[in-house]
Amino acid sequence: MRQTCLFAALLPILLITIAASPDPKAPATSAQIVAGAEKEGKLVVYSTTDSASAAPLLKDFGAAYPKIALEYNDMNSTEVYNRFVSEAAAGSGSADLLWSSAMDLQIKLANDGYAQEYQTPEAAHVPSWALWKNEAFGTTFEPIAFVYNKRLLKAEEVPQSHADLIKLLKANPDRFKGKVTSYDPERSGIGFLLITQDARTDPAFAETEKTYGKVGVKLYTSTGAMMERISSGEHLIGFNMIGSYAIAKMRKDPALGIAYPKDYMLVMSRVAIIPKAAKHVNAAKVFLDYLLSVRGQEIMGNRAALFSIRPDVQGETTAASLTKQMGSSLKPIPVSPALLVYLDQSKRLEFLKQWQEALGTK
Amino acid sequence: MRHAPQWHRILAVLITGTAVMLPLAIIVYQSLLDAPFFQPSAKLSLSAFRFVLTDGDFHRAFATTAILATGMTAVAVPLGAILAFLLVRTDLPGRNWLEPVVLIPIFLSPVVIAFGYVVAAGPVGFFTLWAKQVVGAAPWNIYTLLSLTLIAGFTHIPYVFLYTSSALRALGADVEEAASIAGAGAARIALTVSLPMVRPAILYSAVLVFFLGFEIFGLALVLGDPGGLLVLSTYLYKLTNRLGVPSYQLMAVVAVIIIAIAFPLVYLQRRLMGIASRFVTVAGKGFAQRPLRLGRLRWIAFGGVLFWLAATVLLPLSGVFLRAFVSAWGEGVRLTEVLTLENFRELSDYPNLVRGITNTLGIAVIGGALAVAWYAIVGLATHRWQSPWAKVMDYLVMVPRGMPGLIAGLAFLWVFLFVKPLSPLRSTLFSVWLAYSVVWLAYGMRLISTALLQIQPELEEAAAIIGAPGARVTRDVTVPLIRFGLLGSWLLVFMIFVREYSTGVYLLGPGTEVIGSLIVSLWGTGAIDIVAALSVVNVLLVAAGLAVALRLGVRLHG
Repeated sequence: MRQTCLFAALLPILLITIAASPDPKAPATSAQIVAGAEKEGKLVVYSTTDSASAAPLLKDFGAAYPKIALEYNDMNSTEVYNRFVSEAAAGSGSADLLWSSAMDLQIKLANDGYAQEYQTPEAAHVPSWALWKNEAFGTTFEPIAFVYNKRLLKAEEVPQSHADLIKLLKANPDRFKGKVTSYDPERSGIGFLLITQDARTDPAFAETEKTYGKVGVKLYTSTGAMMERISSGEHLIGFNMIGSYAIAKMRKDPALGIAYPKDYMLVMSRVAIIPKAAKHVNAAKVFLDYLLSVRGQEIMGNRAALFSIRPDVQGETTAASLTKQMGSSLKPIPVSPALLVYLDQSKRLEFLKQWQEALGTK
Repeated sequence: MRHAPQWHRILAVLITGTAVMLPLAIIVYQSLLDAPFFQPSAKLSLSAFRFVLTDGDFHRAFATTAILATGMTAVAVPLGAILAFLLVRTDLPGRNWLEPVVLIPIFLSPVVIAFGYVVAAGPVGFFTLWAKQVVGAAPWNIYTLLSLTLIAGFTHIPYVFLYTSSALRALGADVEEAASIAGAGAARIALTVSLPMVRPAILYSAVLVFFLGFEIFGLALVLGDPGGLLVLSTYLYKLTNRLGVPSYQLMAVVAVIIIAIAFPLVYLQRRLMGIASRFVTVAGKGFAQRPLRLGRLRWIAFGGVLFWLAATVLLPLSGVFLRAFVSAWGEGVRLTEVLTLENFRELSDYPNLVRGITNTLGIAVIGGALAVAWYAIVGLATHRWQSPWAKVMDYLVMVPRGMPGLIAGLAFLWVFLFVKPLSPLRSTLFSVWLAYSVVWLAYGMRLISTALLQIQPELEEAAAIIGAPGARVTRDVTVPLIRFGLLGSWLLVFMIFVREYSTGVYLLGPGTEVIGSLIVSLWGTGAIDIVAALSVVNVLLVAAGLAVALRLGVRLHG
């Protein structure tokens, strides 16, 4: 009994000691910035990651920094861009941090001088291709894969590479007529980004796009529309599908399967930038460090299905597990000004024209 | 007798005009530049017009849209008018419960309706699979332009119904009775007496439905994409991405072109209407409405209404409801094996769900009432006003709906960002309310003016002659006479505000989520099962509210 009392008396001291010892998983943000952020007390984020997917992350951030009230706005990538540039031009209140899957638009904002520099203490643990000038930060490692209908595609038919897919489509043109789907590069920014990366990486791309055209590939703007149609059997297989969404959906839907192409697999990353005009700069830095910290990344890798980018984080959906599985066939899309090439109007229109010709839709 | 200064009328027109012109002016200005208007480098240029007008995709989209709008008007207007006659003036069986059901397509998000059709009658929809099993093939394809036009026509019938029915309710029964005594059957009375008398309401709704056809987005996105159908609003989508960054000037050009279509339309409508006094139907004499007997037609008409309901409400809703209760569907799925309540459980965990529903209902109920008050003030201000100002209003109200959602949302963001006196209001619900009210001005205004047109001037003149000042005439004569119109209008606006989302997309934020924004964000990541569950909750909520409102309304009618 006395011992219990003693323990109870010591417990607070014990807890304080634990809290004071540095947690290796916690973000390494400087105490000064954290104090500044707590003084600001608020943080406004514009993000393309929907609230439901981000919920575990946001909840944990709230637990780690209860004094920072997080205002999380989820919208699509065009809306993030439109809203931010309009607000910036009007000089009115806007986001403290932009977190978007439109890698090219994020780089464009940084390149146009909207982003501020920040030396994140987590930088050393993030692959160098994911960082640009301390202004744009890749935070996730999301595989771009094939998603197929398990009921209607036999296990041995599932393509293991881009070449396999083309072979499969060519061998069964009637069966796959109108049954293949992907993002519309004309209407979807991510679709355009991925298909241009394919053009660069796939040695047989000319043949690939012609085959897509022959089977009458169905092009959409939203992930939801595509995955639902694959699951129902209206379509059989989709290429350039974002793995994080597919895996989140697969957990509920037994009809969906995912296949990682072994010849090369593109990897995209959600890019964060801190605008120069951010009102709550310190809070934005705290959030960025949190996203890149082991603590944040472990949640991405195990609970949020967003695929953590840090090689030192273990779990189901992590860069580490993908690297173990796929090795050197992983082709991450670098967070770099190379992404700006196709934001040039004439180059973009030229690519689209060529794509439509190959597809036979023009 | 109205020679007093008309300043209150002019004020109402000016305020409304400003609210309409601000976003419009930004769009027109933007269409004449070569870069976003807020960039210092932007220069006056016609290059955006040149780009759009020489773009093959634009021509294709324009042609498809014109066919779609014409076709859906041709479907929705006659059927909607007949439906209104049947429900309001005849002894059609079950007309009390039919009314709220008829209105369902108005408050459902078109994306959800379209998706319901896909689940029910798409290539692997359950009816399609069933038809294949029974007769070997399904004789329909919902991804063609014809199907899209029919579905769009069917789902817009409620708009025509609403306008026509509120006009019919105010119609004196004496002429119909005269026709009936003279031996005319119900069909003949409908076609030669009742419906011609409410021609203004029908014409208004025809113009509106046609115009809505130009703005159609959700249906076209879900049902048009697989068949490669391109309409103007999905073409706009292309313009947000085709040049890498959203090309506001190109999007603005498309909006300006659609708005330009409004002018000849409104002109045509004014011409067809002729002199409004031809349609005076509420006279100073007392009358009692008795339902016309349909006789043998009764059950045939009932069957027709049921068929329409099956095709427009039951079919897509069965798809949505089914999707809400299964974990998978489609080819090779046995439905009994996939039944689940998991989607609803997951929905209940969704962050901000309750707040989204409360906000939606709040904006729809309170915002809807305020919007109707505004519309009524403008309607009364321009009522019986022989002035060019009144004519201008006719054109003005139609214009905002010409801006497709994608661009209207941006325009309102810009208004609240760049019109400095308004910027403090940006993050309040007022901005959302203003955007919604302006965009749906044409709807509310038309309903009110339809009601107003039917009051015989002698009623108001009588009051004026015995010495009532203008305000008193309005308060004691005009407003009481249009109270059904106001109620109906509130109901219509309520339902449209429940669904509206795109106009407010840039003004909504944490704390001001609405069901529409939740649906879009869920749809984006592929959580269509949760979207379906949310839609089911939405339908049940609104249907319950509607039933209550109509029950109260019915008592008021009595």
